[in-house]
Amino acid sequence: MTEGPDRVDLTGERTLTRSLESVYHAVFFLCAALSVVTTIAIVLTLVINSITFFGGYSIVDFLFGTRWISSRALFGILPLVVSTLLITLGSAVIALPLGVLTAIYLSEYASARTRSVLKPLLEILAGVPTVVYGYFALVYVTPALNVVIDGLNAALSTIDGALSVVGLGLGFRFAELTMFNLVSASIVVAILVLPMVSSISEDAMGAVPDSLREAGYGLGATKFEVSTTIVVPAAMSGITSSFILALSRAIGETMAVTLAAGMKPLSLPATKSLFGIPYVSPGQILALYSESGATMTATIVDIVTSDLGGGSIAFDAMFAIGLVLFVLTLGMNVISDWISARYREVYE
Amino acid sequence: MIPADSDGGGFGRVKRTRGVAFRYLALAASNVGILALASLIAFVVWDAFGLWSAGIGWYSIFGVTVVVPLAAFVVYASKHPPVATAGLELLSATLGGLMGAVMLVVMVLVVAGSGVWFAYVVTVAAPIALLQLIGATDPTVKRWTSVLSLVTIVLGPIAGTLLLGPLSTVAALLGAPGVFFCTIVVPAAGVLWYTLERRYEYGRRVSIAAAVALPVIAIVAVPIVDRIAIVSRSAWLVLLVSIGIPVAVATANTARDPDRRGGFALPVIVVGGLLVGRLLVDLLDGVVPIIDVSRPQPWFDWQFLTSAPSTSIAEVAGMYPQIVGSIFLIVVVAVLTFGLGVGAAIYLEEYAPSGGWAGRIVRFIRINISNLAGVPSVVYGLLGLGIFVQMRVSAVTIGPLTIGPYTGFGVGTVISAAFTLSLLILPIVIISAQEAIQSVPDSMREASYGMGATRWQTIRNVVIPESMGGILTGTILALGRAIGETAPLLLIGAAAVSFSPPTELFGTLTAMPLLVYRTAFFPADAFRHGVTAAGVVTLLLILLTINSIAIVLRDRFETEA
Repeated sequence: MTEGPDRVDLTGERTLTRSLESVYHAVFFLCAALSVVTTIAIVLTLVINSITFFGGYSIVDFLFGTRWISSRALFGILPLVVSTLLITLGSAVIALPLGVLTAIYLSEYASARTRSVLKPLLEILAGVPTVVYGYFALVYVTPALNVVIDGLNAALSTIDGALSVVGLGLGFRFAELTMFNLVSASIVVAILVLPMVSSISEDAMGAVPDSLREAGYGLGATKFEVSTTIVVPAAMSGITSSFILALSRAIGETMAVTLAAGMKPLSLPATKSLFGIPYVSPGQILALYSESGATMTATIVDIVTSDLGGGSIAFDAMFAIGLVLFVLTLGMNVISDWISARYREVYE
Repeated sequence: MIPADSDGGGFGRVKRTRGVAFRYLALAASNVGILALASLIAFVVWDAFGLWSAGIGWYSIFGVTVVVPLAAFVVYASKHPPVATAGLELLSATLGGLMGAVMLVVMVLVVAGSGVWFAYVVTVAAPIALLQLIGATDPTVKRWTSVLSLVTIVLGPIAGTLLLGPLSTVAALLGAPGVFFCTIVVPAAGVLWYTLERRYEYGRRVSIAAAVALPVIAIVAVPIVDRIAIVSRSAWLVLLVSIGIPVAVATANTARDPDRRGGFALPVIVVGGLLVGRLLVDLLDGVVPIIDVSRPQPWFDWQFLTSAPSTSIAEVAGMYPQIVGSIFLIVVVAVLTFGLGVGAAIYLEEYAPSGGWAGRIVRFIRINISNLAGVPSVVYGLLGLGIFVQMRVSAVTIGPLTIGPYTGFGVGTVISAAFTLSLLILPIVIISAQEAIQSVPDSMREASYGMGATRWQTIRNVVIPESMGGILTGTILALGRAIGETAPLLLIGAAAVSFSPPTELFGTLTAMPLLVYRTAFFPADAFRHGVTAAGVVTLLLILLTINSIAIVLRDRFETEA
């Protein structure tokens, strides 16, 4: 700004101010727009490389093939999807009930002091790097589980011994876990998605107005009844969306499952047939949990850390898995948003 | 809802039992995850510090000299909040200072080196500081100094790169310690003066005395420092500034308030307890044969932190290159994400229109950001691999301008990794910054507009200062997440076992979680329960420090607000 009469000075300053304002506006808009660019870049990267892959490999064989052996150019994604789903299911069985109970305790029972201790501690569970969870699963959880299994089997032997007197026997033993297995993977994934379930569910329960609770108490309900029959149903949309987000997180989890469940794809059990309808017995499915099973994410890690160079077909297959993962997790996130918006009970 | 009241008398008791049972079930459920993680961490600490090899006498001695007094202090502090605050402040000043010192040493001494550091300080940091100073003393030129500062942020790094040669020569003439004295100790003295006088209200004379004392101590102590082999003169200057100042300020703050002086007991207990314990162990060693005072054989020790990794001999294995790599990476990611994340949050909260087609775009951006936060990290890894490593675009010529060719940023380089991780944590940074900005009451904005301020002036002078605590906390927590990320680094091809640290943006990256991942597969017990455990403990300790700094920052800004 140059020295000059006041009027000129003032005008110059205003022009400067105004043009600076629009510069800042534009710069901040670009910052926000970067997220859209990121999304487009993700989609383009995955789609373009997947198209290259499907140029050399049939999309039907990819989606419905039952064997994944990179070195023999067999890229059937089913075994990977099955391990991913088994781990997701296993972790859901542990984390969802625990998460909802935690949310109920924090929102309905805990004193302010207890909450202020418990909540940051729960946040820590999600803050530990997933590679550390994988290490824990491999080095501590699996050996500990094997000790438990040995104990159970010894107990079963004793029972069998007793029963053999009367000519009976269970004849049933738990399988020893291999070094990599789906049980330990499910357990550590459950620990790391637990805070997601508890915090989102608790937020939903906190949004339930006190007038509903008081109405319940007024009708003579106990705290237990108010919690389970008023608060939980009223917060159902939030709880459901927390479940879906947790499942989505479990599907996309990488390092923990790579270290815990290994990078060897599981072999799908042979299907039996009943009246021409193929099925797999629950026992066969449970047996899969004791063995190694590479998930979709673990297979991506396996390919990128192996010696297969860039440009090979396995390298492109990686992006095809990534596309499936992206579509799955994005779909679940969208559904979760939709549920929490569509079914949210709005209170005045 | 109303229970069918049919079973008469016993009904109330059944209901009560069920309620109590449920209450304890819920309480137990809330603790399952925490206890599981706590026991796993206990196991890994047990392994990493080799606690199994320590004798009962060792445990008893340190139990008496450290644990019991510490427990007594915790009990006392829980009844005297000022003492607890003072103790925590001293502790966090030490921890934060240590963390800052490690980061500074890594970035300035190992990665940049005195020449590069000097060049960028002269071309970027010094002009901006000077402009801000002029703006602060003479408000009439403030608008111009802020514009020039922005210009410097853009042009300074370019000038620094162009002038790297001559400026490095100047730096070489000054010598490394001279460079650090001019660029770290002297500015720190200025900041110290300002902080003491303006923020802590110590009075001008004390503040100036403290500011003068700093460079004097720095020089006077040099003969002593020269005798310590592991601390170079340069490192001494960095350590003095980043540990000495926070600890001294925290000490002074504690000393001047009689209510808080009890807080000094904490460092006395920790340091004194450890010294006394060690002395007792040395004295009793071999004297009384019944008491087993054998010390633990830790895997996590100074040797581990300062050695290169080894894939064959566990005893000499370390993690030094990986620690440097992780810190380097996180600093670059912080630089990349902070401005972008806060800028995006400011746009979405302060500028974004809510109606019309523009409003629709903004709504789409919002949904898009929340969905990006849910994309698995391995997919970001694929993105980084595709865009920053594999992508090739041939040169494009538009008239006289030739752009490109673009050949990516290289396999496994620091810069590729930093871009990838920045995209990964940006949604988290944006969302937490948005929350912080939302918490600024509208009345404050209206007051600013009422005084004739423009939107940007309101943002800069009201919104950003008010929400800084929340923004910083969110960013630091997001960086904590980035430091543990492994899959994206594997995908862009970073090296797991590298024997030298990366020293430039285009150097091959190696990072702590990568080494943990690699050595976790080694079957030998010395690796499974030794080296890897020590690596995990290092990672967890750094994360713990980062998170406690974030929490202390949040508390500090909350109490000031």
